[in-house]
Amino acid sequence: MKYVFLGSFAFLSLLSGIAWFIQPEHQRHDRVPLIWVSDPNPARREQVSVFNDLHSQYDLKLDPNNSGMAKVIVQSLAGVGPDIFDCYGGFDLSGYVKAGVAWDVTDELAKGEIHPLQDCWPGSFSVFVLDGRVYGMPTNVSVNAIWYNKDIFDACGVPYPKGECTWEQFIPLAQKLTVKDENGRPKHFGLLADWWGWKQFVYQYGGRVYSEDGTRCVLDSPEAIAGMQLFHDLMYKYRVMPSPSDEQNMATTGGWGSGTITLFSGGRGAMAVGGRWWLCTLRDNKKLRLGVMPAPFGPKKVYWAYGRASLVNKNSPHRREALDFLRYLAGREYNDLINHQADALAPLKKYCYTPEYLHDPEFPNEDYNDVWRDIMRYGVPEEISPFVDGHAAGRLIDKQLDLVRSDEESVEKAMRNAARQVNGEIQKTLARDPQLRERYERTVGGERP
Amino acid sequence: MRADGKYIAPGFGGWWHRQGRWGASHVLLAVLAVTTTLPFLWMLLASFKPLEEVEQVNPFPTEWQPQNYRRVFEQIPFARYYFNSVFIAAWVTFLQVLTSAMAGYAFARLRWPGRDHVFKLYLATLMIPGVVTMIPNFTVMVKLHLLDSYLGLIVPAAFSAFGTFLLRQFMLTIPTSLDEAAAIDGASPWRIFWDVILPLARPGLIALAIFSFMGNYQSLLWPLILTKSESLRTLPIGMLDFDSTYGRQTNLIMAATVMNVIPLVILFVCTQRYLVKGIQMGAVKG
Amino acid sequence: MSAPGRRHETLAALGFLAPNFIGFLVFTAGPLLFSLAVSFSNWSLQQNIPFQWTGAENYGELAKDKQFWIYFVNTIYMMLGMPVAIAGSLVCALLLAQRLRGIVVYRTLFYLPTFVNGVALMILWKALYNPSFGPINAVLDWGLQMLHIPAKAPQWLLSTANLFGLDPQELAVTWTKFGLGARDALIIMGIWIAIGGNNMLLYLAALTNVPQELTEAAQIDGAGRWAVFRHVTWPQLAPTTFFIVVMSFIGAFQGGFEQARVMTNGGPSGTTTTLSYYIYTKAFEEFQIGYASAISWVLFAIIFVVTMINWKFGSESWNE
Repeated sequence: MKYVFLGSFAFLSLLSGIAWFIQPEHQRHDRVPLIWVSDPNPARREQVSVFNDLHSQYDLKLDPNNSGMAKVIVQSLAGVGPDIFDCYGGFDLSGYVKAGVAWDVTDELAKGEIHPLQDCWPGSFSVFVLDGRVYGMPTNVSVNAIWYNKDIFDACGVPYPKGECTWEQFIPLAQKLTVKDENGRPKHFGLLADWWGWKQFVYQYGGRVYSEDGTRCVLDSPEAIAGMQLFHDLMYKYRVMPSPSDEQNMATTGGWGSGTITLFSGGRGAMAVGGRWWLCTLRDNKKLRLGVMPAPFGPKKVYWAYGRASLVNKNSPHRREALDFLRYLAGREYNDLINHQADALAPLKKYCYTPEYLHDPEFPNEDYNDVWRDIMRYGVPEEISPFVDGHAAGRLIDKQLDLVRSDEESVEKAMRNAARQVNGEIQKTLARDPQLRERYERTVGGERP
Repeated sequence: MRADGKYIAPGFGGWWHRQGRWGASHVLLAVLAVTTTLPFLWMLLASFKPLEEVEQVNPFPTEWQPQNYRRVFEQIPFARYYFNSVFIAAWVTFLQVLTSAMAGYAFARLRWPGRDHVFKLYLATLMIPGVVTMIPNFTVMVKLHLLDSYLGLIVPAAFSAFGTFLLRQFMLTIPTSLDEAAAIDGASPWRIFWDVILPLARPGLIALAIFSFMGNYQSLLWPLILTKSESLRTLPIGMLDFDSTYGRQTNLIMAATVMNVIPLVILFVCTQRYLVKGIQMGAVKG
Repeated sequence: MSAPGRRHETLAALGFLAPNFIGFLVFTAGPLLFSLAVSFSNWSLQQNIPFQWTGAENYGELAKDKQFWIYFVNTIYMMLGMPVAIAGSLVCALLLAQRLRGIVVYRTLFYLPTFVNGVALMILWKALYNPSFGPINAVLDWGLQMLHIPAKAPQWLLSTANLFGLDPQELAVTWTKFGLGARDALIIMGIWIAIGGNNMLLYLAALTNVPQELTEAAQIDGAGRWAVFRHVTWPQLAPTTFFIVVMSFIGAFQGGFEQARVMTNGGPSGTTTTLSYYIYTKAFEEFQIGYASAISWVLFAIIFVVTMINWKFGSESWNE
């Protein structure tokens, strides 16, 4: 027995030797190391190397994470957080600010003549602006338009759609493109859409998730209900969109809306609601012939904008150097790179009006870049409420919407339940935080916070 | 072994062995094996498909893409992650088995005040969900400067109440006559441990080794939070790379998983023989 | 044993125990005590809420928290598969204990699900549960057709239906919710993973320890194979069964986390959220560490009580 242990120990020591030997050089002492936590999208590699080329005094490295805020916050709490990290939503931003991890860089950026509030697309504000203060720079921004598959249109003998239209005008078109095969199984649907884009419908009918002052959840307003009703009807009344079970027939997935992309790429939908960043996946499928048209709108012509921003860790010893990364995000090289990689749209408005953007020589088929830029003007950021935790409220809302999505509950009842539960959650949050309660009282009392 | 040399399988008193080659048990085994294996065949086939086809009904790819395997290595430093996973899991297993055996011996054989109370404490800690202890554990790591290092990944995992429990049970079943004989011959507890107990507990050690290696090999959350440099990451973290804002590259995940599993299968096939003869001892006596 | 001998043993014990015990204190007991302490506070990682000891407030809030009770019921529901899983692993062990040709291959194949845990497995099962194109429903549909039963195959992962008609939002039973839904889908998947898994290995080992003389003696006395099993094999297996049952309960109470996180995100409509996933979301999404710790300790108390009951119940065979 002894020999087994001794032998294993010897073997492990050998492995340890190998491990030590193959460790890469830890850091070049002449360069300042910067760690950037972001999701492991393959496009990041180039984004990092361009930065390192431009700033040879830095050594930026990517630390991948797509499991939510846990890693950044736990590490930061213990004082070893990353220098730069990405934020994917307004509520996450507020969480980072409240935990004291996000650094307010409004003044620092202004010193370098960078004014994000003027230069960036307004749709991106939710991920890096809180209460008028700037905490980072947006890395990209997106609204959804309608991708259409030219081959399916040709097969059905339908001319390609052009210009803008309302949902009423759109539905008959989608119905023409919803075709079943001989067994009654769906061959392809007229429209595919990711469920997590539901906010667009609410906004387009004049509704909101939270009231303007953030004190209430207003999903139970008639406008919001009307918006969700349309989304529901697309599946169950007009049957132009797959219900979740149909969708499961054709493909299943999770992740960031990759389900609909795979479906669309597999020819299971004539049209799909998606962003420009779909190209990252769609470019691989050489057989697709694509076109883009602006998404239909309801009584209000707005689109829901979403995106990502990079924030600087307030407690990082290299936070001043990290500011250079933010400046890089505002610079030409990065913005052009994003446009070229089609990782949604570049954050700064002015770089979307260049000829290189409109006609990228490497992708001559993509003749629709003007559409993406033009609809971006109608992109509105999502609103948050400072009085509730985003994840808690989000889960409550999602629970109700799941029922709507599977047609197990009427839209009206679900929305009312959601609003009621979120308002209850707001009260619970206020009970925990006296400072917040004060602010709430003041806001409700009419004062601007 | 019966007198006529026939081996009678336990359970139904020899019923099994009276069947021919295609007897009921063969059929049953085959059917069950098919249900456990079919999904993996699907997975294997999916690893050769282009992304659009992964979730089509037809399990066979219309376009075989063996380059998926190469792409796995290109997209992430898969070889390094492989090495890290095996390296870390091996060390953890070694340390766990060693320390649990020693502690198990202390609980099973040696008499000392408070022994059973401390053991109940060990047991109790098995019952608490581990999620919330992550933050204090992490802080301890930072204070000890073990962040982002191999030590940080190995050391906390090397102590296992479960392992101690299992090996204690094992050692309880070894007849005390043997150690008493050794003690009379003047052997110290240490000698008894090494020369008498451990060899007899070998099956238990192997069982623990398998459970421990597998558990650590597949663990995700703790290494994710603890590592910052790419060179320290393990396979489960690496697999996350195929699931980003870019979309979920299911075919690559399947390819990576197929490669992932190989060390485990090798480990199992080599050691399962020892398992069969031994785990029961751990559970027979209380 | 004489006094110096006793002391000698205690010292030796300390020596053997030390490495393990130090690690235990630092990495297990210490953080646990910390989390116990935190459960009596309002720690929420937010800088603007001052850290305060709030006593048993978290526990009180727990009792009133509807979500907690719903998820508690979910966790218990998931245990429905446990008896099937344990019995199944026994059957598999019986099959695999034989010395047939190629038994090693069979053993490896049965154990395969335990090897391949993780994301890939979950993706796999999501595809299998495809309501219209997945193989499971294809077989069910065919079977229903054959038997001329006018029913549709279930929606599995998309449905909040379940065997008891539990309403997803309230602690109530609703007529319309009977059926097979996400929870049942996860239970079936869990059984599939478990029958060839670790418990099977434990039973396998236990079976080969059943003394041949006993089974032979019973046979000579004219017992049929079922009687042999009932009166000879099964009692010999009792200690193993006990061990497996205790560990399964502990595992079941703490489980459901990976599936919720990777496969279903706790849905649809919160039906597959178990207590351990709830703890995770409270701790790492909403950052209410104090509250999450309180839930953990309540869970511990429950597991502890159940284990004690099991212990008492099974103690006859345990302490034979």
